[in-house]
Amino acid sequence: MAISREAYQALEDIVGPENISEEPAILDSYAFQWLAEFRQHGSKFMPRAGAVVLPGSTEEVQAVVKICIRYKLKCKAHSTGWGLYGAPITENAIQLDMRRMDRILKIDEHNMFAVIEPYVIGATLQAEAMKVGLNTHMIGAGASCSPLAAATSFQGAGPDSIFMGSGPENLLAAEWVMPTGEILRTGSLGSGLGWFSGDGLGPSLRGIFKGILGACGGLGVFTKVAVKLYPWPGPTVMPIEGTVPAYTAQLPENIRAHTLAWSTWEGYADAVYKIYNNDIGYIAHRQFIMFGDELQAAVLKILTDTTRTLNDLEELLKKPEIQKLSEEMRRSFQIVLVGMTPRDIEYQEKVLNQILAETGGWKIAAMEEPTMAGWSLLYMIKLCFKNLNYVYAGGFHDAMARAGTPDLVTSGWMEEMREQKRKFGKQGGIVNDGGDAGMGGVGTAGGGGYNAFENFILYDPGDAASVEAARACNVDAGHIAVEAGAGGYNFFFMEKEQVQALLAGRARPAIFQWQQKIKEAFDPNGVGDGSYLCLDE
Amino acid sequence: MALEDYLSDAKRCCRCSYCKWIPLAQVKSWRFAKGCPSIAYKNFHSYSAGGRLAVVLSLSEGRSSYTDGLLDVVYQCQMDGSCDVACKICRYHMEPLEAMRELRFKLVEEGQLLPQHIPVIDNLRKEDNMVMKPKAERGKWSEDLDIKDLTTESAEVVFHGGCQLGFDEELGKVARTAVTLLKNAGVDIGIIRGKEENCCGGKAYDMGYRGEFIKYAENNIEAWTRAGVKTVVTSCSDGYFTFKRLYPDIGSKFEVLHTVEFIDRLIKEGRIKFNKTIPMTVTYHDPCHLGRLGEQYIPWQGEEKKIRGQIVVYEPSKPRNNGAGGIYEPPREVLRSIPGLELVEMERIREYAWCCGAGGGVREAYPDFSYWTARERIEEAKSTGAEALVSACPWCERNFIDAVNGNGDKMKVYDVIELVQQAI
Ligand SMILES: Cc1cc2nc3c(=O)[nH]c(=O)nc-3n(C[C@H](O)[C@H](O)[C@H](O)COP(=O)(O)OP(=O)(O)OC[C@H]3O[C@@H](n4cnc5c(N)ncnc54)[C@H](O)[C@@H]3O)c2cc1C
Ligand code: SF4
Ligand code: SF4
Repeated sequence: MAISREAYQALEDIVGPENISEEPAILDSYAFQWLAEFRQHGSKFMPRAGAVVLPGSTEEVQAVVKICIRYKLKCKAHSTGWGLYGAPITENAIQLDMRRMDRILKIDEHNMFAVIEPYVIGATLQAEAMKVGLNTHMIGAGASCSPLAAATSFQGAGPDSIFMGSGPENLLAAEWVMPTGEILRTGSLGSGLGWFSGDGLGPSLRGIFKGILGACGGLGVFTKVAVKLYPWPGPTVMPIEGTVPAYTAQLPENIRAHTLAWSTWEGYADAVYKIYNNDIGYIAHRQFIMFGDELQAAVLKILTDTTRTLNDLEELLKKPEIQKLSEEMRRSFQIVLVGMTPRDIEYQEKVLNQILAETGGWKIAAMEEPTMAGWSLLYMIKLCFKNLNYVYAGGFHDAMARAGTPDLVTSGWMEEMREQKRKFGKQGGIVNDGGDAGMGGVGTAGGGGYNAFENFILYDPGDAASVEAARACNVDAGHIAVEAGAGGYNFFFMEKEQVQALLAGRARPAIFQWQQKIKEAFDPNGVGDGSYLCLDE
Repeated sequence: MALEDYLSDAKRCCRCSYCKWIPLAQVKSWRFAKGCPSIAYKNFHSYSAGGRLAVVLSLSEGRSSYTDGLLDVVYQCQMDGSCDVACKICRYHMEPLEAMRELRFKLVEEGQLLPQHIPVIDNLRKEDNMVMKPKAERGKWSEDLDIKDLTTESAEVVFHGGCQLGFDEELGKVARTAVTLLKNAGVDIGIIRGKEENCCGGKAYDMGYRGEFIKYAENNIEAWTRAGVKTVVTSCSDGYFTFKRLYPDIGSKFEVLHTVEFIDRLIKEGRIKFNKTIPMTVTYHDPCHLGRLGEQYIPWQGEEKKIRGQIVVYEPSKPRNNGAGGIYEPPREVLRSIPGLELVEMERIREYAWCCGAGGGVREAYPDFSYWTARERIEEAKSTGAEALVSACPWCERNFIDAVNGNGDKMKVYDVIELVQQAI
C-alpha cells in the first residue's frame, strides 16, 4: 500500500523529487536491517516505509513533520541507521534519512564543544577535533555512528566513557523538531545565547531526551546539537601504518595501550574501583573478549597479519602460546593511558603499576609487543574496526546483558553468563567461542562508577537454523535477565502486547509510564513511531 | 558464479555503512572522508554497496521487480571497489563488488538493459571500441611509428593501446611515448596495429555484458598467441585489470605489466636515464583498476564450510582481494626518481583512493555524475598545493581533463609517462 498521491506530492514539494523515493527497491534497502530477522520472523526486512525522504535543513524537517501530521502518517528519522530501531515498526511510515544534514557547523576550540548535524559521524568529528588538540566521545558501536544520535536518541556509552562520559552526558544545547512540528531550542540556545549549555538559561530537556534508552526515533527529529569535546594531546592527524587490513598506529610515548589481566574476578573488580578513584585512563574497555574467550588470541593474530584469514583459526588455536594468551585474557580489559604532559603519563603509569601490584594483576606481555600495541591503540582510539563484531559469519546479538557496580563481576554472574551461552555454542547453531564474549565498559559513565556487559551471540544471518539458535539463546538469556530485573534490547523484537508485559515486569516500570506521559504531552497527534518505550497505565 | 551465490552475502551484510567511507582508520578530515561516489552523489542508502546487497535480496525474494528506478540504482556506480576494500577490512567473507557485478550480469542476461548503454554496446559490437567511434579511426598514434606489427610479425611483448588511447588524439601521445621508451630501452615489443587492435572487453564486463567480454578476451588471447607474445604491457589501467584479473579465467597465461611497472624496472636497471629537471609539485591519483583492483589473479575454486559451529571459512582457503596487493609504489617510484619533481599525497590514496568517475559505464550513461566525481578529486588534488594531477590511466586522465576544462581550473593533468618523457 502506497501513501496517498496528495501526501507524496506535498512531501516532494518540500524536498524536491531527487530527495524522496517510493521505489520499492529503495524502500527495501531502508527496511533491510541488522537484527530485523528476530522481529520479522526470519526476514531481513523491517516493515516497508511509504516513502523515504532526505531533508536538507531544519525547515524541511519541520515541514515534513507537519505534512505527516496532516496526512496522519507516522514519521521516523535515523542518522546513519545502523540497527532495526532506525526503521519504522509499522508499514507505510515516512522514513527520514538525515544524511544530507552532515555538517560540522562549529568547533569551539576554546570552550571545547562542537555543533553538529545528524549525519556527522564519529570518525569525521574526531578527525576535525584532533586538528585542534581535542577529541570526541564515541559510542561502542564506533566511528561510523552519529554522535548526535548517541547524545539524543539511543544509549550512548562507549569505551572512552570513563574519561569522556556517555553521549547524553555530553549533550549541550540542541535543536529539536518536536512531533508537533514546532522547533524547540534547548539550553542556552533557547535563550539566544549560543550552544554552550544544555541546561540553564533556557529550557532543559536532556532527561526527557535520554529517558531510559533514548527516544529511539519515536519523538520528533533532532537536527543540530552541541556536544562536549575533550583534550587530545596526541598528533593532529593519527599516523597510520601497515598494510590493509592490518593497519596500526605508532603513537608518541604519552599515549599507551595495555591489556590488563587478573587471575581472579576480585582482583579485576578491585582494580576497576582503584582506577576510578585515582582518576587515570582515557579509554578502558573489556573489548577484545568480543571474539569469545577461547578464540580472542587467535583472532587478534589473524587481524594483525595481512597474510592470514579465518581459515588459519583452527591451526592457530592448537598453538600453546595462543592458548596461553587466550587463557591470560579471560579476566582482562584494555586500557589506553593518555598523558597530557610527560609527567602525567609517568604518573598514570606509576599509579597503574601500583594498582596492579595491589590487586594481583599484570600487563599481558604479548599485547605490549609493538604490532599488537599499535593495533590496540588504533582500535581503541579510533574505534574504526567495530564491525568486527560480525567477523565470523555476519551476525551478532545479545545473550545476557547487565549493568552494575564493578562488583558485578564477582557475583558469579560472569560464570553464569558464560555457561548460559557455552551450552548453545556447543550445539553448533551459534559460534562456539568459549561462552564469554561479554564485552563491556570499565566505566560506562563519566568518571566511572558503573560498568555494563553484553554477552554476544555470534551467528550466521544467512542460515535460518543459526538464526533460530541465536533466538533460542537470546530468549533463554532473556528469562535469566528478567528475573534479575534487567533485559537487553529485546523490546525491539516483540509485538506491542509482549513489550507491555515485559515493561510491566521490569524492576522500575514507572519510568516507562512516565515515558508514556511524555509521549502524550509531546506527541499529541501520534506522529512518532512506536519504538519509544512506553507502558500503558 | 551466479547472483544466487551472493544471497548469503546479502543476508550477512550488517548495514554498518563502512562501505560508504574510506577505511575509518584512514579518515583525516571531514571533507575527504567519503569513499563511495555513488552514495555521496545520490544519497539514498540503496546507492551504496550495502544498499545494493539489500536490493539483491529484495529482488530475489520477489519484493521488488525491474523498474527504471532499479536500473538507476544498479548503474549509478563506478564499480571502482572502494566499498569492497572498506567492507573487507573487518568482514572476511563478504564480496560486495562481486555481488554488484553479478547483479549487472543478471540484468543484462534478462534483457534489462540501461538505455544509455545500448548505443555504446551496439557500437562495440560493430566497431570494436567503447568510445563510439568508427573502427577505422583507431590507433592514429601509431601511424608512422617504426614498430613491429604483430598482425604479421612476432615479439616478446605486445603493447595494448586500448580504446581510450586508441581514439583520443590528445592522449594518443601517451601510448606513442610508452612504446618508444620501451623499444629504445631494447625491449622486443610490437603492437596490433590500427583498426586490427580490439577492445579488451573490460568495460563491457563492468557494464554487465559478460558475453562481449568473453568474445574480446578470446580474440585477443588468440592474436597474442599467434604473435608469440609472452608479456602484455598497457598504459590503460582498465585494460591492465582486464588482462591481469579477468583473462586468466578465459585461459590467458601471459605476464601482464602496466607501463609504470615496466618503466620503474627500466629506471632501476639504469636503462632509462633522466637528463632534465622538472621543477613541479605533483600529486598522484591511483587509478582504481591499477591500485586496489590491480592485484594478482589467484585461481580459486572451492566451497564455503563452517568451523566452530558457525564461523565461515573456505575449502580450500580463499584468496582475499582486499586491495593489499595493488600497484601503488611503481608509479610513485617513477615520479620520485624524476629530478626536481616533488610528489605530495592527497588524503585518499592507494587502496582507498577516490575514483576518477569514469568507470563502470558511468561516464557513458551519467555524465553529470561522472563529472562531479572527477571534480571532487580535483578539489582534493588542489588541497595539496600540487600544480599537477598525475595518473596512469587514460580514462582517468580524460575525465580529469574534461572536468578541469569545464571548470576553468589551472590544475594540469598528466600521465606518468608524459613526465618521464619530459625528463629524458
Ligand atoms: C557493533 C555495535 C556495537 C554497539 N555498541 C554500542 C555501545 O557500546 N554503546 C551504545 O550506545 N550503542 C551501541 N550500539 C548501538 C548503536 O548505538 C546503534 O546501533 C545506533 O543505531 C548506531 O547508529 P547511529 O548512531 O547512526 O544511530 P541511528 O541508527 O541513526 O539511530 C539510532 C536511533 O536513534 C534514532 N535517531 C537517530 N538520529 C535521529 C535524529 N536525528 N532524530 C531523531 N531520532 C534519531 C533512530 O530512529 C534510532 O532509533 C552498538 C551497535 C552496534 C552495531
Ligand atoms: S556491504 Fe559491507 S561495509 Fe557495506 S553495509 Fe554491508 S557489511 Fe557493512
Ligand atoms: S563500486 Fe564505487 S560507486 Fe559503486 S558502490 Fe562501490 S564505492 Fe560506490
